[in-house]
Amino acid sequence: MALFPIIGRFDGDFVPHLVAVDTEDSMDQIAEKVAVHAVGRRMPVNADADGYEVLLDDRVLDGGQTLAALMGETPVPPLQWFDVRWKT
Amino acid sequence: MALLNRDDWYDIARDVDWSFSYVDRDEAFPEAWVGANGIPPEAWEDWEEPFRVSYRDYVKVQREKETGVGAIRDAMIRADLYAHLDPGHRASSHLHMGTTCMVEQMAVTMQSRFCRFAPSPKWRSLGVFGMLDEIRHAQLDLRFSHDLLKDEPRFDWCQKAFHTNEWGVIAVRNFFDDVMLNAGCIEAALATSLTVEHGFTNMQFVALASDAMEAGDINFSNLLSSIQTDEARHAQVGFPTLDVVIKHDPARAQRIIDVAFWRAFRLFQTLTGTAMDYYTPVEKRKMSFKEFMLEWIVKHHERILRDYGLKLPWYWDKFLLALDHGHHALHIGTWFWRPTLFWKPNGGISPAERRWLNEKYPSWDDSWGVLWDQIIENIRAGRMDKTLPETLPALCNLTQLPLGSAIDRHHLGKQQVEYEGRVYHFDSDVSRWVFELDPARYAGHMNVVDRFIAGQIQPMNLEGGLNWMGLTPDVMGDDAYDYRWARDEAEQPLQAAE
Repeated sequence: MALFPIIGRFDGDFVPHLVAVDTEDSMDQIAEKVAVHAVGRRMPVNADADGYEVLLDDRVLDGGQTLAALMGETPVPPLQWFDVRWKT
Repeated sequence: MALLNRDDWYDIARDVDWSFSYVDRDEAFPEAWVGANGIPPEAWEDWEEPFRVSYRDYVKVQREKETGVGAIRDAMIRADLYAHLDPGHRASSHLHMGTTCMVEQMAVTMQSRFCRFAPSPKWRSLGVFGMLDEIRHAQLDLRFSHDLLKDEPRFDWCQKAFHTNEWGVIAVRNFFDDVMLNAGCIEAALATSLTVEHGFTNMQFVALASDAMEAGDINFSNLLSSIQTDEARHAQVGFPTLDVVIKHDPARAQRIIDVAFWRAFRLFQTLTGTAMDYYTPVEKRKMSFKEFMLEWIVKHHERILRDYGLKLPWYWDKFLLALDHGHHALHIGTWFWRPTLFWKPNGGISPAERRWLNEKYPSWDDSWGVLWDQIIENIRAGRMDKTLPETLPALCNLTQLPLGSAIDRHHLGKQQVEYEGRVYHFDSDVSRWVFELDPARYAGHMNVVDRFIAGQIQPMNLEGGLNWMGLTPDVMGDDAYDYRWARDEAEQPLQAAE
């Protein structure tokens, strides 16, 4: 387990944030950590959505996959940009 | 004894140069300071300035200007003018003083470098007046702010701001450190004198002075106008410099101007766009920031490029798109992160203000209004914690401004580069292009996010960040109108606080 900084952008918001995640966080947990800075602050809650999903370079990531597992597949440097959006 | 006419001696006096015997010319004029980049010394014999100012003339005119500024200052202090100003306008003056005064002081150093290292003796002579101008501007800002310290501690930031790590000040300092203090004379003249001063601040001071007068701040308006008359003169050193560089290295001239224009514009959006379209009371606004830019900055810049045979920058369409959005992004961003400011921004989204914004920017509601709707809902529901940040925005490694602050949410995308093992992010592909032109020049700088991750900011939370930025409760930003614009009853333009 290790803290890891990413840049998280919630789709529809105007600004990405610095977000501290843990390498053992799943993508679903990372999505929550990114969304908390946008949803309910500048983005309205989407009652029709089924949670969130995380994208890396336009590829939707498995919600159960951990960041550490992702790092085993592809290079993920500190401050990597991730997109988060509503799952509909 | 009768004095000679100026024209009898002027050309000799301003063109005195040295014939070196103990050192080489390259030792007396090191390339790092001159920045000639291969342009031969004799090329600068063509450098010609149009002003033909003698020291005697200069002192006479400047004394008259000082007398005028001083008389109005005394009258306005007696009238206790500041106490009657609109809170939004007050924010503009705090922002201006904190981010501008020390740039004037930095310009003293730049001009003094022209006096010593500029490749033409005529330029070196003219640099003396530029240097004296800039000393005057910094002193005027300090005196204006000192007079108002008894009314407002934020005027302390006129001198203090550049000695803190406040994030917006870092962005301003980063740019001017680069193009004023570290660039050679030639790049400094093209980037600062021609692009920033002649292209932007000269016009900005006209607009800001006009808005200040409309808002009733006669003292501030008069100060700005007095400074602008100096800027209009000494910024002219950019043109003869461009004449010489165009003849020998037109690609370099194009590159320096294109880079400086984009970087200056991004700061201009931050400092002037927000003030014009949000802080100035809506009933006092004469034109929108975009209208002002198109009328005074864009036409002017296009004309200069055309006159000198240069092209429009490759990013011109992106720049025009940014005119619709960037300052709105910077406004919602600065307002949301308002504890990190040393001024009190006006949220400025009352129904009347919103109508004005949509009239001036037809896509405003779709790009920005929806985000403000959620903020307004939170304010009305008393969920103030949801109107404040819990982390830092991601920042651009060129401009130091937030990612997303050059355009709107519909155009936001990743501009990420890896250089020598480190990830860099940019607020636009234009800023990324600037970085990639000369990565060694920009790569070493750490923005606030980089410093946070490096552990320089402790404790690693908002409180630690505010301490690190030097923000104390007496100056920390909050809404200028205490959120009245967001209440249900905010149907009319807001009036100055009692």
